[in-house]
Amino acid sequence: MTDFQSAALPAIATRGLAKHYRKRTALTDCTITVPEGRISALIGPNGAGKTTLLRLLAGLATPTAGEVAVLGATPGRDLALLAEIGFVAQEIPLYRRMSAEDHIRMGARLNPRWDGASVRQRLESLSIPLDQAVGTLSGGQQAQVALMLSLGKRPRLLLLDEPVAALDPLARRQFLATLAEAVAAGGLTAVLSSHLIADLERTCDHLILLAASRVQLCGDIDTLLAEHQVLVGPRKDTTAIERDHTLVHAVRTARQVTLLIRRKGPVIDPAFEAADVSLEELVLGYMGQDAPPAFAHLTSVGEDQ
Amino acid sequence: MTWLVWRQHRNQTYLAAAALAAFAVLVLITGRQMASQYHSALTSCAASHTCGNLANTLILGTPVLSLLVTLTVVVPCLLGVFWGGPLVAREFETGTSQFAWMQSITRSRWLAVKVGWALLAAAAWGGAVSALVTWWSSPVNALNHQNFQPGQFDIQGIVPVGYALFAVALGIAAGTLLRRTLPALAVTIGVFTFLRLVIGQDLRSHYLTAVTTPFSFLHAPPSPKGSYWLVSGGVVGPAGQVANSHAHGGPGVSFGGVPVPIDNMPSACRVLVFQSPLKFGSCLAAHGYRGFITYQPASRYWAFQGIETGIFVLLAAALIAVTAIVVLRRDA
Repeated sequence: MTDFQSAALPAIATRGLAKHYRKRTALTDCTITVPEGRISALIGPNGAGKTTLLRLLAGLATPTAGEVAVLGATPGRDLALLAEIGFVAQEIPLYRRMSAEDHIRMGARLNPRWDGASVRQRLESLSIPLDQAVGTLSGGQQAQVALMLSLGKRPRLLLLDEPVAALDPLARRQFLATLAEAVAAGGLTAVLSSHLIADLERTCDHLILLAASRVQLCGDIDTLLAEHQVLVGPRKDTTAIERDHTLVHAVRTARQVTLLIRRKGPVIDPAFEAADVSLEELVLGYMGQDAPPAFAHLTSVGEDQ
Repeated sequence: MTWLVWRQHRNQTYLAAAALAAFAVLVLITGRQMASQYHSALTSCAASHTCGNLANTLILGTPVLSLLVTLTVVVPCLLGVFWGGPLVAREFETGTSQFAWMQSITRSRWLAVKVGWALLAAAAWGGAVSALVTWWSSPVNALNHQNFQPGQFDIQGIVPVGYALFAVALGIAAGTLLRRTLPALAVTIGVFTFLRLVIGQDLRSHYLTAVTTPFSFLHAPPSPKGSYWLVSGGVVGPAGQVANSHAHGGPGVSFGGVPVPIDNMPSACRVLVFQSPLKFGSCLAAHGYRGFITYQPASRYWAFQGIETGIFVLLAAALIAVTAIVVLRRDA
């Protein structure tokens, strides 16, 4: 068996991963690394390939090309790995006629390290009835049941596809806090997808940014933020900056130009005013959109970590 | 995993058990009545030496009861529709397969346990219904010798078990390929009915070469012993077998169950048809015409049951193999 405990091994490592469907490319040339113990935000617009990537990592789909290693093993082939991965699909599939308690009992029968007591306790603390058919629960409650069940497996990697989409703001906070606690307790890495950075930025310390089936950014959020800068200056020739740095996105108005760059060194052009970049600006810049300025200034990223 | 299968299907199982129990009560009560009715008829006919005619005078059971028993022919299809079709399709449809497959259990085990229990239940229910019908029919079989005939053959013995296994496997495979319950049900009903008809009408009579016995029109056609199956009959003239114009819409007459095409008979005999069957027969014999019957002897009944069951079990196995390949290879 693979030694899952080796510290040097990243929780997730892919190289050139691709998934093509008959007429559509869902994911292409995806190379990412997620170190152990991180909460990674998988961000991207709808249809960017987030679900595909999570399904490939979970072993529910097989890649068309490339390599994928999860906790040092290949998803879908390594059976011991199945016990290490928690996964909640976007549609939150549960057996509608079965109660949460039935699901907990089922988990005990189908998983080797099952922690039913903590699932019960967490659901009870959320006032979710355990004996009621889950199909009769609200969408948010169903999402909570599915999320808590995925934690009950005591996985070493948790893959959650749009987990907070169905939750109200309070439940969102509670869930993310639960998740952060579980990760802080050690031995757990999590990847959460969303198309809204605001959902995840408080909790996550790692970012995978997908757009148009490709990885745009992958890495530690603080490092990524430090590497990027917003430059505001008079509208003039920017070829010098584009030569020295990588230009991610530019907004040109009649009077001034705003540039998002990935620095390769200090910016020394005195005509430009440099500012730190927010996670929102960064994400939207890579998606080719303009950050709403007011919101961008209110966001302070990295301080929560 | 067995726990999950039971939890998912227990209500259905209770319902099916209740339906089977109700049917069993009905069959046991009426079956005992029929058996005693038959035996007392046998005793009284033996006393008056009229047992040779018993099949023409004694009617066992009621038409409604006979119809109900005949309707058990749809039981395998119902099992395929209610147990087979939704088994995998429903999980794909609701996405619960993704939930199940992310527990610490392999897809092959998940499928094996589900399919295993479904097939076992199909065999149990199909077998129980068939056993009841076979027992119920035993006086009728002894009286009328019709259990090798299409219709009766299909609801007695071991073939219903083969049909049930096939129907459930068909439902499972259709559901796996289509990933939707409702279309899977439609395909199950369509394919099952089609194959049963094709195999029953075109293939079954050829499992073993049928026995052909010629006879003279001076006498009635021969009647083989026991529950034989009359596959066909016809007329052989001086120039070889006479085409059965009756089958193509021409006028025909039945000579003791053997179809005689009037159009192709000598004109001298034709006029006698409506005067006297006896004269008609003598005329045909005088002109060198002979009849024949082609039949499967009663002794082959269980061989045919075995062959037909084997065919459907093999078909079921092939469908399960297809299901396994699709489930193991395809993305969730």
